[in-house]
Amino acid sequence: MTTLYVLDIPENTPLAKVAAEDSGVTVGRIGPYFEITASGAIMIDRRATGCRHAVWYSAIGGVARGSRITQHDKDALRVEPA
Amino acid sequence: MTELDHRVKGVDHAAFPTFDPAGTVHFYRDVLGFPVVHSICAVGWGPEDHPDFIHFFFDIGNDDRIAFFYYFGFEPVHSRERGDAYAGFGPEIPEFFVRSRHLAIHVENTDDLLEYRHRLDSSAWPVEMQIKHETIESIYTHDPNGYLIEITMPLRPVTPQEDLDANLTIDALLDVVAEPDPTIGKLLARKAELIVDRAAAWELARAGQAAGR
Repeated sequence: MTTLYVLDIPENTPLAKVAAEDSGVTVGRIGPYFEITASGAIMIDRRATGCRHAVWYSAIGGVARGSRITQHDKDALRVEPA
Repeated sequence: MTELDHRVKGVDHAAFPTFDPAGTVHFYRDVLGFPVVHSICAVGWGPEDHPDFIHFFFDIGNDDRIAFFYYFGFEPVHSRERGDAYAGFGPEIPEFFVRSRHLAIHVENTDDLLEYRHRLDSSAWPVEMQIKHETIESIYTHDPNGYLIEITMPLRPVTPQEDLDANLTIDALLDVVAEPDPTIGKLLARKAELIVDRAAAWELARAGQAAGR
């Protein structure tokens, strides 16, 4: 299981929305955080989110143990099972 | 989290040495329009080898002040090109570190940010960068002493959940720096655990407070 947490603030909502477009990804909530989960990889395209770089590079709230970030650059964020 | 009551009221003053009082007064008073609000002429102050000095203050709004020390007869403490009146840095020190220490002065909106941008751009210290950060937008320049000065406006009000998130980040940071080889990856893993432990309860408590009003 891959789990990524993103704080629910206006700048980050497009990120959760784009993540949810992948049918293999579930976007739930825990408190004020989006809990983004998948059995495999979570892949989010930055341009699809429209997030500017400062937002993009500070959007990650937490990455559960057993998951790891394998890409986080101007193109995409990819979190996979560790 | 702290249970101590919070009594302080912002910045009284932040103080910096200067070897260029004329440039400093010109920059803060004449270019930015920050009034001179206080000054001390200190003669024979402190230990015998302490130079006479002028300690002068500019209002930076909200009754907060930026202050300078000018010491008569005291020469610059370094001749390095990088750095400021207080400290110099050699080529081995990366730029991100040199730029890390700065003073950010708050403005409320775009009109005010652009007004200060206009004042600086019409001077010998034009704006070097205008950057939209996560939730603030800022302009930057170096003052005549080499100090990095930021003027910043909020892009929106801070939300309550950002305070929760900040506290979880700091608790996760303290946990990972207590262990060898701290990394951002370890911090995000620890923070994920803290989110699971505390985030739902935080939201419930907030909802309870709202209902109790």
